[in-house]
Amino acid sequence: MNNNLIERYIYAVTKMLPANIQKDVSQEIRGLIDDMLCERCGDVVPSEKDIRVVLTELGSPKELAEKYDTSVKNCLIGPPYFVTYKYVLKIVLICVGIGILSSMIATIIKGFEDFDNMQVMLQNVNFWTDLFANIFTNLIVGLIFGFAFVTLLFAIFYHKDIKIGNEKLDNLPPLPKKELSKIDSILGIAFSVAVAVVFIAVPQIFFVVLNGNKIIPIFNISEVQSVWYLVVIFALLGIVRETVKLIEKQYSKKVMITTIIADVFSAVIAAFWLFNENIINKNFVAEITNIFDDNKLIAIFSQFNYFFFGCIMLALTIDVIVTVVKTIKNRD
Amino acid sequence: MLDNNEIVSGLILELRRGTLIMSVLSQLKEPMYGYSLVKKLHDNGIQIEANTLYPLMRRLESQGLLVSEWDTGESKPRKYYKITENGLDVYEKIKKHWFEFSNSINNLLEE
Repeated sequence: MNNNLIERYIYAVTKMLPANIQKDVSQEIRGLIDDMLCERCGDVVPSEKDIRVVLTELGSPKELAEKYDTSVKNCLIGPPYFVTYKYVLKIVLICVGIGILSSMIATIIKGFEDFDNMQVMLQNVNFWTDLFANIFTNLIVGLIFGFAFVTLLFAIFYHKDIKIGNEKLDNLPPLPKKELSKIDSILGIAFSVAVAVVFIAVPQIFFVVLNGNKIIPIFNISEVQSVWYLVVIFALLGIVRETVKLIEKQYSKKVMITTIIADVFSAVIAAFWLFNENIINKNFVAEITNIFDDNKLIAIFSQFNYFFFGCIMLALTIDVIVTVVKTIKNRD
Repeated sequence: MLDNNEIVSGLILELRRGTLIMSVLSQLKEPMYGYSLVKKLHDNGIQIEANTLYPLMRRLESQGLLVSEWDTGESKPRKYYKITENGLDVYEKIKKHWFEFSNSINNLLEE
């Protein structure tokens, strides 16, 4: 039992160490414990109490293992990123939560349409169990996904930063002429998350009301939901872009490069998403072109996906131009 | 608020941290195993715990200042450490620096 205690202690220490030094360290500690016991007891066989005293003197296995561990940054996300990490995590999780809960409200409002009157809807058990089951799964999946993505993003930032190594004085960033607004970045992240949640959970809330009471969704719901991953990537690109701004706090080269890359990829994703005729509800095109006489408007709405793509491209282009101009201005 | 005793023990720890490596290097011109070094330093008034010294020697070895060898000839296997050429060079430099530095500090403190 006594030897067992020593071996258990050694095992507890070494299992936390890199595999290539485990054997050597365990031999070393075994020798050390033996020496300490000899010192304490001389030729007398050590009692269990002696062993306990010696092991206590060596410290807990975790403490000892930490002393043997020489890796510098042995945590997932450390300073100076940890503060921003917690901050962004909070924003993303809150937005996911709010987004999904509001999709629940949207579903309830839509329920008023589907049922003849409120009484029927309120008493329909299936409607409510489906609703809550859906919201619950969406919430869990959304929160876990948001958490995982933000954590991964910051882990990459943190560990990539190590290799940059010692900063030269000349590389110190200039004093920002104007600090980037935190609020803008937060709103940017919130917007990205909201767009993703809405398009995945309740794409039917984009609708038009024609002739007073006809509700026509703009998008083809099942088609939109089947390419959910494009929407997620689009949102993630937005989060990356805004997070880098939050970290850099000014229009720097890093911000400019990330913005350009993120915007280019966003454009590609938008193209994948919208160059698909089926993404727009066919009824919407048919009904809406009926009510206009103007050929230009008919042209816009019959090709609504390209029109929508054009709007996104315009927004992304403006974003890139503004970022590049402000980065150059900030440098001078 | 820390009380003064805590502040003092914190400062002593800081002071020791830098000098321990020097003490270790100074004693390893001849090969020694970890526990015998603990005792030798102890006898010379340098208190160092084995759980600090063992990882420290391993780190110095990875920096190329010490070299180790297992001696399995005796009743129990022991790992002997010895200073390397490189380690000796570092030790001589740091020793010189220490004498100059401690002189200056002593002068300041004795004013």
